[in-house]
Amino acid sequence: MRRKHLPAALLAALLSAVAFLWASPFLWTLIASFRPESAGSAGMASLWPDFAPTLLNFRNALDSGSFGLYYANTLIVVVGVLAVQCVTVSLAGYAFARLRFPGRDVLFYAFLLQLMLVPPALIVPNLSTVVDLHLYDTLPGVMAPYFASAFGTFLMRQTFLALPRDFEEAAAIDGAPWWAIVWYVLLPMAKPGLIAFAIVSVTAHWNEFLWPLMVISSPDNQTLTIGLAAFTRGAEGGKEWGVLAAGTLLVMAPLAVAFVAFQRRFVDSFVFSGVKG
Amino acid sequence: MRIGRLGLGALALSLASAAFPAWSQTKIDFFFPVPVEGKLAREMTRLVKLYNESQKEVEVVASYTGSYDDTKLKAQAAAKAGKPPSVVLMSANFNVDLKLSGDIISLEPMLKADETTREDFLKDFWPALHANATVDGELYGVPFHNSTPLLYYNVEHFKEAGLDPSKPPRTWAEMVDAAKKLTKGDRSGFMMPAGYDYLGWLMEALSLSNGGRYFNEDYGGEVYYDQPSMLGAARFVEDLIFKHKVMPQGVTEAGGVSTAFFAGKASMVLLSTGSLSFIRENMKTPYDVAFVPKNVRNAVPIGGASLVMFAGQNEESRKAGWKFIKWLSSTDTLGGWSRFTGYFAPRKSAYDKPEMKEFIAKNPDAKVALDQLPYAKPWFATYQTVAVRKALEDEIQALMNGKKKAAEAVKDAQKKADELMRPYAETTSLKLP
Repeated sequence: MRRKHLPAALLAALLSAVAFLWASPFLWTLIASFRPESAGSAGMASLWPDFAPTLLNFRNALDSGSFGLYYANTLIVVVGVLAVQCVTVSLAGYAFARLRFPGRDVLFYAFLLQLMLVPPALIVPNLSTVVDLHLYDTLPGVMAPYFASAFGTFLMRQTFLALPRDFEEAAAIDGAPWWAIVWYVLLPMAKPGLIAFAIVSVTAHWNEFLWPLMVISSPDNQTLTIGLAAFTRGAEGGKEWGVLAAGTLLVMAPLAVAFVAFQRRFVDSFVFSGVKG
Repeated sequence: MRIGRLGLGALALSLASAAFPAWSQTKIDFFFPVPVEGKLAREMTRLVKLYNESQKEVEVVASYTGSYDDTKLKAQAAAKAGKPPSVVLMSANFNVDLKLSGDIISLEPMLKADETTREDFLKDFWPALHANATVDGELYGVPFHNSTPLLYYNVEHFKEAGLDPSKPPRTWAEMVDAAKKLTKGDRSGFMMPAGYDYLGWLMEALSLSNGGRYFNEDYGGEVYYDQPSMLGAARFVEDLIFKHKVMPQGVTEAGGVSTAFFAGKASMVLLSTGSLSFIRENMKTPYDVAFVPKNVRNAVPIGGASLVMFAGQNEESRKAGWKFIKWLSSTDTLGGWSRFTGYFAPRKSAYDKPEMKEFIAKNPDAKVALDQLPYAKPWFATYQTVAVRKALEDEIQALMNGKKKAAEAVKDAQKKADELMRPYAETTSLKLP
């Protein structure tokens, strides 16, 4: 018994140390955003909170752009992309997992090749397509290239493959058409896969900078990351660390809150696979 | 049937009115980066609103487009996709590259339409800016805000080290001397930003101060990286770190350098004049500014941004864009922007205005920046400017990390740059009859 306890305490200490290291950038951001006049005082790098916290940094950050609008636009993009993706990836995943047609595997691997392309290489061709579709400088233009996702299709195919066929066959015997099988039988069982994909998709599009920057020109259509760039992309001047930290917090806050709120669900989804009992 | 046709007619009419909301008004896109800090984006938005309200013919849609490099990327991608912006505020040294790629248009036809000449138009702009505004003898960019490097120093540290703050170092030798006296504990005598873009610009400043040229101002396919002037500059940086030990080893970004200066961890720093307002607002202890010290001669490169116009827009949009450029580069607009940002105004006449005279009297540091202008030289601009600049920056960064010696670094940088510019050289200077 005793021998077991010592390593456990040691492990806990070690884990706390690693967790602290990992969390220190976030902690610093949190502390710096409440620190008054942190542009260059000697203590600007300190992790020790200031005794007279201020909200001035947040006010300056909020003043520098229409954050309400940015939140709304980002939300529209993220939710819109995810909604369409859920339909496309589950249908494509189903087709690759269950339907038999010539060239299926070749097509699947060709589809996966997409994952190897670096997105910046596609900026100009994608932008031309967006312009041709009359979607330039619109939020649907930002979303369009992501409506089909190779990663999502792969994930859903694997999820469907892991499900036993018995359920579908039972439904088929009862005369259910294919769409009813997908909707009533497969999708409910594949939920963990979809949720895992949703997390990846939402964080990726929430944080994306380059593509929205390329498509959007009017200030009314800008997203959060572009608003944030106003503080962080300065070339010749100095950095206003406090405002920068406050702006960063504002951008990441909704995602962080959502993650903490649904943490259990998320972790379960990643761990959980196949069907329960 | 009749109703159907009527409906169709109404639809066509409403479509037409949607496409031309106001018949006389031309809508144009204006892209701008924010090189210094967030609040400048708001100031620029305010200026554009002011312009839109001041007249009825042109409506400018201003969009903030990230850093200088992001702005170039976005403008070029938009142009390739068939949506060229009308006017872009572009890093002043991208003009050569953008002209060679056919992205920006010559402004000579606009000058002609205004019945003026390039000489007349540029007369009011500081002579040092003319080279970066023109490519192959034609006007391509209108200077909007400009800067040069400047030596900022902590007055209290100077006194404490027994140095006279009214006599800042003027030569490299004096600078090393002062830096040695100023270095103490974890305080560095000297620091300079070494991130991309900034480092290339400062290395140009050092090689110019060392009598060099950095690049061929008249031909976009040549740089002088492995010449004595640059070798000396590179060795100077190397010595500051490893021999005199007055500068920390490794690469520090501009934000880190200004923060170290504010925090009293660096006594002398090389930063842009564009940082003047920021430093004035944030420095708690007394500071002063001086010319960039020289080894052979006083010389600094110009930095900043110019207004350019993109190819592929129609006549109407071009006219509207030019009108906007003229307003944005008017004496009053430039003067106001200069006082707001700390950049110097490219027009000489801006300094004859009473509000500018008052501003300079109140802020003598702005005067030093202005006095250094007669020694300014064009900013580095070649074919593939960014890549050619990075060829040098990568090597100098390796040197600052102690991984390379100066002689080897400049030789490798030259080799890389030559390879990058080779395709251009092949079609120009190496294309023989």
